[in-house]
Amino acid sequence: MIIQVKNIKIAYNSQVVIESLSFDVNQGQKVAITGESGKGKSTLLHAIAGFTPFQSGDILLFDKPLNESNVGFIRQQLAWVPQETALHFDSIREMIDAPFEFAANAGLKPSENRIKEVFEGLSLPPELLDKTPSTISGGQRQRVLLASSLLLKKPLLITDEPTSALDETNRKKITDFILSQKELTVVASTHDSYWMEKSDKIITL
Amino acid sequence: MGEVADIGYWKLFAGYALLIIPIWVLWYYKTGLVKDGIISIARMTVQLLLVGIYLEFIFDLESNWINFGWVFLMTIIAAYTVVKRSGLKLKIMFAPVFIAGVVSIAITDAYFLGFVVKLDNMFEARYFIPITGMLLGNTLKTIIIALTFYFKQLDTESDLYKWYLANGATRAEALTRFKREALKIAFNPVIAATAIVGLISLPGMMTGQILGGSSPNVAIKYQIMLMITVFSSSIISVILTLWISDKYVFDGMDNLKKIFTK
Repeated sequence: MIIQVKNIKIAYNSQVVIESLSFDVNQGQKVAITGESGKGKSTLLHAIAGFTPFQSGDILLFDKPLNESNVGFIRQQLAWVPQETALHFDSIREMIDAPFEFAANAGLKPSENRIKEVFEGLSLPPELLDKTPSTISGGQRQRVLLASSLLLKKPLLITDEPTSALDETNRKKITDFILSQKELTVVASTHDSYWMEKSDKIITL
Repeated sequence: MGEVADIGYWKLFAGYALLIIPIWVLWYYKTGLVKDGIISIARMTVQLLLVGIYLEFIFDLESNWINFGWVFLMTIIAAYTVVKRSGLKLKIMFAPVFIAGVVSIAITDAYFLGFVVKLDNMFEARYFIPITGMLLGNTLKTIIIALTFYFKQLDTESDLYKWYLANGATRAEALTRFKREALKIAFNPVIAATAIVGLISLPGMMTGQILGGSSPNVAIKYQIMLMITVFSSSIISVILTLWISDKYVFDGMDNLKKIFTK
């Protein structure tokens, strides 16, 4: 089992955002988390990655409870794509390379061919690598982050509204490309009907 | 070289008349800074007068323990000022800033006074107290800039920090970029100011020594050593503060605690 969420409750300043939520995610499964704005989709993803505390219940990833002792190991199994795409880097190349500088990802650095392959799958021209993040569109930045996470080849991808900044054509193409990665387990918060349609499981908050 | 001309208390009092111009400018443009300006001048006057009295006293006593105690007290006040001015919570940040201050002062004082000047007693009041005072005073601003920028950046760019962590970085790896940016912001002005010493600015210590009767040659050597010591001490203090504070400002899941007072 990749993720087990058992009866969790998350509250901010006594306001309950998520209550009595349980679900499992198996290896290779594609899970869409949906619900109206403010229902806690992003909060849930942040809780799974250990960025938001939960008041009761348990979260297990890779059969290990999410706690202070295991959080380091768990995060090393993840690729994380936030909704916010304004991450400041001098170039797209630097943004792509950044995660491979960490000791946990040493030796995972992709070949130029692999980078081209993933860029092509996400409709990104290879020339983009030399540009600065501020000179490309929000949709392209979002896809660059997705490319970076796919290049990491981690078993679990957690992504917050992965297609929110994309146009209709790219939305479908990119959804197909990401969700066709057989070994990859994907947990995404989304409002995108096509993404939900292509997912194995939908959790509505 | 003649004796330095003393300033009589009445003359000193008359010197305050010069403040009429800046206070009028602050008042005329409704800056709201007149009261703060007057209070800061009054505080400076009282503090320096008291220090003058105290220094005369401890120079006469010449006790290593009292000298050491005085420097310890100055370091406490400096650490308190840094944390307060950076807008950070005293409870969390005082210890890291204070420990870093003590260590950096110990290293740079020992090197300057013990190794370079080769004093028989490096705790001798006329060297130990003013040199340490200048070190603390000159490093304060740099530490405040570095700390404020580091934690503001971690707060406003928390998505980047989380992106690093959740893509395999250890906490130290995720913080490297934030430390690099804080060092750049804090030390660019120090580097620029160091480069123009002697051309545009004549530093206070050198001026003081020349007024006190030292030859410019001796004053310059002390000034060069002081600039090197301030430079080193600032970097040591900043990086030690950041390293030590990393142990206090994150929870067990590596998330930044609420450390700003506002």
